[in-house]
Amino acid sequence: MPRPAEFAVRVAGVRKRYGTVTALDGVDLRVAPGTVHGLLGPNGAGKTTVLRILLALVRPDSGTVDVLGDPVVPHRAPAGVAGFVESPSFYPYLSAQANLDLLASLDGGHADAGTVDDLLARVGLAGRGADRVSGFSLGMRQRLGIAAALLREPRLLILDEPANGLDPAGMREMRTLVRDLAADGHTVLLSSHLMAEVEQVCQDLTILRAGRVVYHGTLDALRDKAPAPAHHLRTSHDAAARAAAAECPGVDVETHPDGGLRVRATTADLDGYLLRLAEAGVTPRALAQTTTSLEQLFLDVTGEDG
Amino acid sequence: MRHALTAYRWELEKLTAQWRVRAVLGVAVAAPWLFVAVLRMQDAVPADTLFGRWVHLTGFAAPLVVLVFTTQYALPLAISLVAGDVFAAEDRYGTWKMLLTRSAGRGALFAGKALAAGTYTVVLVALLGLSSLAAGVVVLGHDPLVGLSGTLITAGTATGLVLAAWASVLPAALGFAALAMLCSVATRNGPAGIIVPTLVGLLMQLGSFVNGVDPLRRVLLTANFDAWHGLFTAHRFYQPLVTTGLVSATYLVACLGIGYLLLHRRDFAEG
Repeated sequence: MPRPAEFAVRVAGVRKRYGTVTALDGVDLRVAPGTVHGLLGPNGAGKTTVLRILLALVRPDSGTVDVLGDPVVPHRAPAGVAGFVESPSFYPYLSAQANLDLLASLDGGHADAGTVDDLLARVGLAGRGADRVSGFSLGMRQRLGIAAALLREPRLLILDEPANGLDPAGMREMRTLVRDLAADGHTVLLSSHLMAEVEQVCQDLTILRAGRVVYHGTLDALRDKAPAPAHHLRTSHDAAARAAAAECPGVDVETHPDGGLRVRATTADLDGYLLRLAEAGVTPRALAQTTTSLEQLFLDVTGEDG
Repeated sequence: MRHALTAYRWELEKLTAQWRVRAVLGVAVAAPWLFVAVLRMQDAVPADTLFGRWVHLTGFAAPLVVLVFTTQYALPLAISLVAGDVFAAEDRYGTWKMLLTRSAGRGALFAGKALAAGTYTVVLVALLGLSSLAAGVVVLGHDPLVGLSGTLITAGTATGLVLAAWASVLPAALGFAALAMLCSVATRNGPAGIIVPTLVGLLMQLGSFVNGVDPLRRVLLTANFDAWHGLFTAHRFYQPLVTTGLVSATYLVACLGIGYLLLHRRDFAEG
């Protein structure tokens, strides 16, 4: 009987260098059991390196890593943990069933046809067990990767960009699946470079930038810090529109790199600003929200906002 | 141990599912028959090759000629086609991360792959030997064989000696398999794992022709490929089999040991 852990994942002061490149620079991470935790950051922030360390694929240079209450032994897969990093890969010349059976047998078990059928149905691949993986799309491999992870009956599920290659319907199904897994008591740690994806399923969040943690906490706490969403506004007279903004509290206007103006304002403040533009004789020609509040905060803290 | 046997079973399953492996084993069965049929049809004989001058007189000479040809040129390549790719294939498919996140450890996976490559090597040599013996006897007859001392060797004895000669090259064959596996682990590249051991084999063959470097010749893996000659003399001698067997075992242990250490210490930061 595995002993309950205070944290499903506890990472402290982890550093990792690849040659001259610092991938992780003193990363701390704590994931509460039974939650869906998002690991967010732009490409190259170190998300996948963290996940590889948790899965014992990579040895950290320093720091401590505990998973489900036990220290991770370098290069030995921790018990109770499953998942994938980058896109899951399989033997293309074997069927989905054979691939899953192979992986199950390396865990000392066996994936019979009934188990495989149930798992494949759960991830949206019903009836595809006998098909060779060479015919699978990226999205189907992604689903098969989750089936392979679930085969291990993990307490902690690690998913690296699980929505990659999925169409909108597939992404919705993936979110539902992740929520269901959490409801079943699984802890899920998923990485993404898209705030919009993470905010729909995660309770807690860690944001990485260039190998350092720039935010660690709940999504609700992050929302409290979030700035107003950004909009792209095109007008008949940008200079007059910019002048009008000076008279509207809560409205921040700057030149948009693609032409027109970038306006940061809450919905209420934006309504007031548009009325003020009408009074000033400025015609709004196009208005589109470009980021949500959380996306804007993510872009701000990761320095990705151009 | 249980995980190593599981990995071994799955490696065999994966090998037999690949057309390349089936093709090589198919060629190992068919090529000796083709070779013997061509010998049967032509007047000339490969007189420069050991036992080559007797191929029209007895079918027992043919498998020995095939043995000389294959060990000089083809065997390291045929072995490396599987052994040189058995680890690198996981890098090509990106499957290490799926394997290494299961309960079976790196040692078990290494052992399973090494055993599978060894099994393939033994099966390849066995198919070549048995097929060439069968082709020789069926196509060219089973008259007694003229030994290297000029004495006649009866059909029954010749059969056993031919099979023993083929079995005697297994240590070097397994040594080449280990060398190919080391290249496969070290380079993470299938073509390199295939080409490097093949080139090493050719260089060793060239090295064995150089006069005045006897100490070097004794430590060449390819020396084992000629060690069977003593079986076909009137007074048999086995010392070359023992010496070259030990040399081959040294290659085997060293290559597998280094290969295991490389895999054990590797960070899987890509794929």
